Amino acid sequence: MILVIAEQRDGRLNRATWETLAAAQMLAGGMPITIVVLGAAPGNVAQELAAAGVGEVLVATNRALDPYTPDAYVMALGGLIRSVLPTYVLLPHTYQARDFAPMLAARLNKPLVTDVTAVTGTGTGATFTRLMFQGKLVAQVRPTGEPPWFVTFQIGAFRADAVRKGPAASITKTDVTIDPTLIRQKPEPPVQAVKQAVDLSQAERIVAVGRGIKSEENIPIAKKLAEAMGAELAASRPICDNGWLPMERQVGSSGQTVAPKLYVALGISGAIQHLVGMKGARTIVAINKDAEAPIFEVADYGIVGDLFEIVPAMIVELEKEK
Amino acid sequence: MTRESLDVDVLIVGGGPAGLSAALRLAQLQKEKGGERLSIAVLEKAREAGAHILSGAILDLSTLRDLIPDYADKGAPFAAEVHHDAVYFFTQTSKLSFPIIPPPLRNHGNAIISLNALVRWLSAQVEAEGIDLFSGFAAQDILMDGSRVIGVRTGDRGIGKRGEQKPNFEAGVDIRAKVTIFCDGVRGNLTKELLRRLQLGKDRAPEVFALGIKELWDVPADRMAAGTVFHTMGYPLRQEEFGGGFVYAMPEGRLSVGFVVGLDYKDPLFDPHMAFNRFKQHPFMQTLLEGGQMVRYGAKALPEGGWNAVPQPYMDGGLIAGDAGGFVNALRLKGIHLAMRTGMLAAETAFDAIRAGDTSASSLKRYQDRIDASPVRAELYPVRNVHQAFSYGLFAGMAFAGVSLFTRGWWVKDLQAHPGHERMEKLQSHPTSIPPPRNATTIDRRLTFDKVTNVHFSGTAHDEDQPPHLQVHTEVCSSICGDEYGHPCLRFCPANVYEIVHEADGTPRLQINASNCVHCKTCDIIDPYQVITWVPPEGGGGPQYNGM
Repeated sequence: MILVIAEQRDGRLNRATWETLAAAQMLAGGMPITIVVLGAAPGNVAQELAAAGVGEVLVATNRALDPYTPDAYVMALGGLIRSVLPTYVLLPHTYQARDFAPMLAARLNKPLVTDVTAVTGTGTGATFTRLMFQGKLVAQVRPTGEPPWFVTFQIGAFRADAVRKGPAASITKTDVTIDPTLIRQKPEPPVQAVKQAVDLSQAERIVAVGRGIKSEENIPIAKKLAEAMGAELAASRPICDNGWLPMERQVGSSGQTVAPKLYVALGISGAIQHLVGMKGARTIVAINKDAEAPIFEVADYGIVGDLFEIVPAMIVELEKEK
Repeated sequence: MTRESLDVDVLIVGGGPAGLSAALRLAQLQKEKGGERLSIAVLEKAREAGAHILSGAILDLSTLRDLIPDYADKGAPFAAEVHHDAVYFFTQTSKLSFPIIPPPLRNHGNAIISLNALVRWLSAQVEAEGIDLFSGFAAQDILMDGSRVIGVRTGDRGIGKRGEQKPNFEAGVDIRAKVTIFCDGVRGNLTKELLRRLQLGKDRAPEVFALGIKELWDVPADRMAAGTVFHTMGYPLRQEEFGGGFVYAMPEGRLSVGFVVGLDYKDPLFDPHMAFNRFKQHPFMQTLLEGGQMVRYGAKALPEGGWNAVPQPYMDGGLIAGDAGGFVNALRLKGIHLAMRTGMLAAETAFDAIRAGDTSASSLKRYQDRIDASPVRAELYPVRNVHQAFSYGLFAGMAFAGVSLFTRGWWVKDLQAHPGHERMEKLQSHPTSIPPPRNATTIDRRLTFDKVTNVHFSGTAHDEDQPPHLQVHTEVCSSICGDEYGHPCLRFCPANVYEIVHEADGTPRLQINASNCVHCKTCDIIDPYQVITWVPPEGGGGPQYNGM
């Protein structure tokens, strides 16, 4: 059996859970899939997940699960896993999973494969792919020893819309035991971090603009492309320095470092200060008038031309796809 | 607004060779002479000691021997001892060796050092004496009571681009001292202000400066033996420009490659950084650097005015030491040992004055007497006219330098000097023939680099959300500068801080990329209208030199 640990906060499901479900279905090879939802009052998340073509949805409630603490989660899930004995325990590689999954696996003395980007094979013979050394090496990992085996999946590595829906699964409520005196963390109410409103480092797709955009009035062109692509808008230093975009959207040595799957650089020459902030992107597309611009040295796809002609054409094509 | 304050006996502004030597000497005097312990504080704008300092560098060990006799046991970081000297005259395609090395350029027995490493080591010696070294704090303003210096105010933190207070705002601290020793380096922002307010440069020759640009290279280890040193004259400079190149070889194929240009050139289209690129493209240099890799970059101005340009270095409650006072031997290209020496002498003067309970200018004047009786004057006086002589051209300068040495500096009359910025000529009056340094050169990002790429290798970082620390109080950029000088800031700045962008109607507008600034001070010195003022950015910002 595969146990997928859903992630919810305040009754809202983290969409990365669907990606993990997609991975679970690929991995299953006939194994039944069970989803577990934890929380003090997880709301309608269970009903939402029941449509996912799984065998069962477990709702594990306990007042001590809210607010989230790693100790409470480890106690609740530790007990549950010992009783249902899954082969795999799958989680999305979210901040929360990163927080408690290692402790949970260690508590049960079981292997944990983290940040997996692909699965080959099914069932107990499956092999997991993960990147090492900041993406410079690719490792193929197969867990050994007695199951359960823990696996977390990289955000964006599987498509949420690939989940095969099915007839509504049964929803079972189950109480989990947590000794509140053993919870060592005492969370304060969440606070907004110093107004870094956009976390570009988490973006899957980024459209970045540079000086080639010429004036503030042209920013909407890039914005429209970003919207059509479902991408975040970012910029090189001069754009933010002029105040055309807020500083938190600056990529480069004095801004954020990003590693999206797709980075589209519009009119960015590719000064080294910018390159160090984005060269970790998996695919780089550069549009620039100057064929000699250093951005083309790192680009996977380059278009030498006028972004004011190319970008509108791209938007038209993208809209057709919708 | 609440502002914290701190009272000390001696405040040292600047944690370079002068400031740290002063601090160390104070600690030594304390031990030798006993008595009530003096409180001492050192302010340094770099995040860590040595991170903003840059030099060639070859160290004359004389002062270090006096200050820390057991420097070798204490692990003073020297890269190599100089064992081979050469001076070349470059033409565009070849080089001529000087048959004899002029005595001032003989370096046998001196040490090739990284000044960052030496300063970091000195700071450890200072901290071991229990002296407070406040790094990451820039001295922003001088605190004065009438004509008396009573301390400094450090810069505020957490001020946004438009001058607004950010959530992390923290007001600067007032540090009051009985004696403040200003060691804020070449064209120090506080020393500049002191000179202006107290007229300390009255009846002295104008200050003259040069700009040094330097890269560290890693080349195959057998390319040049460690301890090899050479200096060049000639190409790519013309007769009218003062300066030259250098290469100092350290172990494991690491080369210090630099170029120095007098900041008194006439041609407004001259670009020191481009001259440096051309220097590296000389066939001899190309062969030397072939297959190597540039690993660090930096730039810094240096004082070259010599003895006659040293301002009055004492005042009520204050002393000036090191590069801030212009204590550099331009002929030998050396100033570290003089900075250390003047730092020591300032410390001795401050110590005696505080013990005697009199820190007025008449008491601190003993500093001048100490300098006059020290190796500083002995070294600087004979060569006092040399840079000035080079303003008559390369060959006149060389001839004069030779005569100076022969006569031990005797000369009928001291040569007149002009501040460098006054010598820059307008586009129309400078001859329009286009000699090599004016042509654009190729940038291949292997041997030659554009300024922006170079800046990356200086490690420079500033918080972007702060007011520009280069204050340009003028409209000349949009009005006359283009016609008169062709926006020389685009060329004299070695870090691409200045940019001219054109408004929709074609009007030029100055854009200041302050976060590129490597704190070299060139703009403050040479801008022909004298409208650029360099002030310290938020403490800690700036280059991150390491091994330079």
